[in-house]
Amino acid sequence: MTGESRQPAPRREVVTGEPRRVRPLPRYRAQAEIEEQTALGDAYVRSLMRGQLRAGLTAFAVLALVVGTLPLAFAALRDATAVWVVLGFAAYPLLTLLAWWYVRRAERNERDFARLVKGRPVP
Amino acid sequence: MNQSYTVTAVALVVLATVLVGGFGLRISRTTSDFYVASRTVGPGLNAAAISGEYLSAASFLGVAGLVLLHGPDMLWYPVGYTAGYLVLLVFVAAPLRRSGAYTLPDFAEGRLESRAVRRLVSVFVAGAGWLYLVPQLQGAGLTLAILTGAPDWFGGVLVALVVVVAVAAGGMRSITFVQAFQYWLKLTALLVPALFLLLAWQGDGRPRVDLDLASAVAGRADHPLYATYGLIVATFLGTMGLPHVVVRFYTSPNGRAARRTTLFVLALIGAFYLLPPVYGALGRLYVPELPYGTNADAAVLLLPERAIGGLGGALLGALVAGGAFAAFLSTASGLTMAVAGVLTQDVLPSRGVRHFRLATPLAMAVPLGGSLLITGMPVADSVGMAFAVSASSFCPLLVLGIWWRRLTPPGAIAGLLLGGGLSFAATVITVSGAVRSGWPHALLAWPAVWSVPVGFLAMILVSLATRGRIPPGTNAAMARFHLPEALMPSGKGGVR
Amino acid sequence: MSGAALAVLIVLGPLLLAGGFLLGRRTARPERTSDVGTPVEHATFETLHTASLATPPLRAGLTEESARKAARRLRSLLGTDALCLTDRERVLAWDGLGEHHGKHVMDHVQGLLGSGRYTAFASGCGDLDCPLRWGVAAPLTVDHRVLGTLVAYAPRESAVLARAAGEVARWVSVQLELAELDRSRTRLIEAEIKALRAQISPHFIFNSLAAIASFVRTDPERARELLLEFADFTRYSFRRHGDFTTLADELHSIDQYLALVRARFGERLSVTLQVAPEVLPVAMPFLCLQPLVENAVKHGLEGAVTTSRITISALDAGAEAEVVIEDDGVGMEPDRLRRILRGEGGASTGIGLLNVDERLRQVYGDEYGLVIETGVDAGMKITVRIPKYRAGVHGT
Repeated sequence: MTGESRQPAPRREVVTGEPRRVRPLPRYRAQAEIEEQTALGDAYVRSLMRGQLRAGLTAFAVLALVVGTLPLAFAALRDATAVWVVLGFAAYPLLTLLAWWYVRRAERNERDFARLVKGRPVP
Repeated sequence: MNQSYTVTAVALVVLATVLVGGFGLRISRTTSDFYVASRTVGPGLNAAAISGEYLSAASFLGVAGLVLLHGPDMLWYPVGYTAGYLVLLVFVAAPLRRSGAYTLPDFAEGRLESRAVRRLVSVFVAGAGWLYLVPQLQGAGLTLAILTGAPDWFGGVLVALVVVVAVAAGGMRSITFVQAFQYWLKLTALLVPALFLLLAWQGDGRPRVDLDLASAVAGRADHPLYATYGLIVATFLGTMGLPHVVVRFYTSPNGRAARRTTLFVLALIGAFYLLPPVYGALGRLYVPELPYGTNADAAVLLLPERAIGGLGGALLGALVAGGAFAAFLSTASGLTMAVAGVLTQDVLPSRGVRHFRLATPLAMAVPLGGSLLITGMPVADSVGMAFAVSASSFCPLLVLGIWWRRLTPPGAIAGLLLGGGLSFAATVITVSGAVRSGWPHALLAWPAVWSVPVGFLAMILVSLATRGRIPPGTNAAMARFHLPEALMPSGKGGVR
Repeated sequence: MSGAALAVLIVLGPLLLAGGFLLGRRTARPERTSDVGTPVEHATFETLHTASLATPPLRAGLTEESARKAARRLRSLLGTDALCLTDRERVLAWDGLGEHHGKHVMDHVQGLLGSGRYTAFASGCGDLDCPLRWGVAAPLTVDHRVLGTLVAYAPRESAVLARAAGEVARWVSVQLELAELDRSRTRLIEAEIKALRAQISPHFIFNSLAAIASFVRTDPERARELLLEFADFTRYSFRRHGDFTTLADELHSIDQYLALVRARFGERLSVTLQVAPEVLPVAMPFLCLQPLVENAVKHGLEGAVTTSRITISALDAGAEAEVVIEDDGVGMEPDRLRRILRGEGGASTGIGLLNVDERLRQVYGDEYGLVIETGVDAGMKITVRIPKYRAGVHGT
């Protein structure tokens, strides 16, 4: 902003409007929005939620099952090398893989849902 | 110990942080080549930023120290820190972004339409943030003490000062570029010395590394299996509620990008966590006397000098120190920003930018005091407690808030108070040292196993008992959380 | 809600007034009925009629002219020797005797203007023949703000006059509130028309198309691009659904607007955009920045200067986004700007600024109004703060 051009003149004053004492609308909800949402169909939203929840629970169940039994397995095996290999190395690619599967599944759910609702895929 | 290299490295990190921040701010374009759509933060960049902010002193120093001291069971910490993002991804990421909330209090207010819940969540955010800040400051004190011989308190005070000045002056904002840069810096600071360490190890004729389970000293818990589960529950479920993690999701342009960002985060921090075990293992070989010393967190810092020695070792040691400092700075500034924001909005009386500047020192003063009072606790352990509180309070709130239509404000309050309050109380008792052994100690030191179910149950049962209080906007909120943006009625689907 | 309360007040005000008189006369006299009306009923009719005569001037708001017209009616309503109407600064109208008291009125009502509480005072007149020995002052309020006062004078203390003056003042307040409502309704319509016309005035369409046309032969590719920008821009501006948008969309629309403006003015206009990507997802009221940018363009090109520079920045400030629009153009006289922001700038000038200021305050609260730094020939810098989250504000 500085440089060869004219400097802005210094005689500026700060101006603000007067307080209106308007209360901000704490729960401003455009009625139309809600109506349109119900028009889109609560049932549709519920079915999408069920699909997404199922995907999430599947991934979580796999995680919980593996992780839940691992400490017991380690305690039973008492093999230090196995612990190093599994926790220090193998766990991370597996976690990433599981996450990748979930993301694909969730995005596919959304695409299918969009087709269901609008007859065209989500861009 | 060559102090001048270390001091230079630390100074460079601080300087680079400020410079990259300034650079990021100054990227400006004329309209002709400006296209908003192409300039939103992509998942890759945002993920690096989230990882940079997330990888704290606990990750950088604490994990290797614990592994060195207590054996491979401690590797559950990094696994938990990573898996926490998987849980966040499958239950929270996209809906949280679509909720439009910037902070957890925003989410609570938007979902439950209650100022009371908002205020309570704010208190917990400040509490969890403070719990998480204490070890950052302690870690900084330790780093400087070991590397330069400065007094223990000095490093913490230094980090606190830098962060407060930078945040209050508006210089080190949560700018994506800075945080992304911090990730790559931290990765480099561990990766390069690790490669040299492995070479040195090779050169020494590959002496056998003692991989045994906690061979060096006795286990640290009376009930190690319970402690492991406690740790797993806390880290897996606690990540989603950490205040500086939540605010970063706002930067994603939409829910789908938020999901992809989380996937990238998982990969990035997973890659990072491959390194601390190397330090832990080699540390057992090269710095074996450490476990009998005061603090195992120093292993990472001392290892290059011990294993390699000479100028190379000193330089690598300085690199590690710089990385550690980057960890303190980025996590501490992110947390301070988040806590100060909550204090300004919901705790201090009036709002505005000026008040934010007043809140920043306050946000930092409490944990600084804590870090000076409480000493002798491993960094990773105190971080674990912040995770436990987060898992018992925010996890039920987020998961039920996003997936369960019958959640009510009284239910949320009950869950927060019981789950979060009890785990917080357990933390306080543990830190005070009132209970030192046996089951009581194990239950209090790793509270997540029981406090998370308590939080969920309280939320569900009280909500069911107060059916009449289900917020009227629940259905609209659910639609907003779960519908893809392009399908939202008021969306911009037709614009492009 | 306040609309309903207002309606109730409008209906109840005159009724109360009339009812009060009716009740007063009733208790004073034994009950009597008549086919052609009792004296009490006649008094009531007279009161209502007088009140209705005072209504039209008051509906124009509290100005010197309206006060002068209304004061006459109000004095006859109260039956006092003198009546005075003031705004916050000065006496607007004096009706009746003893106009020389006018210069002391503002001293008497000073406390009332601050507290909004009724006061009574001794006039302390040096002239012993003057009948105005005592006065009572009541506030005229709109939206809990004291807009002015009504002062009634009498030869001696009178509880009846005090009560009556209070009732009349309240009735006047309702009328003024109504006037305010009228005005904001007009302003809303004006703003809406202006908001559309600002983007899409025939002028703008003509100029844009002419500029595009000039490229058709020399640079068909650019003409094509501009035409697409034009189409996109109009589509966004005419968007009819949803009250909110995102900062990203708003900036995109501004970008298109500027491309069209520059097609016409070329090198005379240089624009710098500086946007922190972190704030792009922020939700905000629809078309809040565009009028400000248009304002900057206008001010920049208005002067005799050859080129104009406009800087638009959107930065991350924690829980808020801060948008600054600055030009180095002719600027504006600060007092004139103050009047505009008060809604007194007239029909056509700066309605965009006022509209944006009002909408921001409406949605986010008073502390989020526009902050403008300007002076004559000093350019103008407008700062807008937008909270990243506000319950109910969703951009997508």
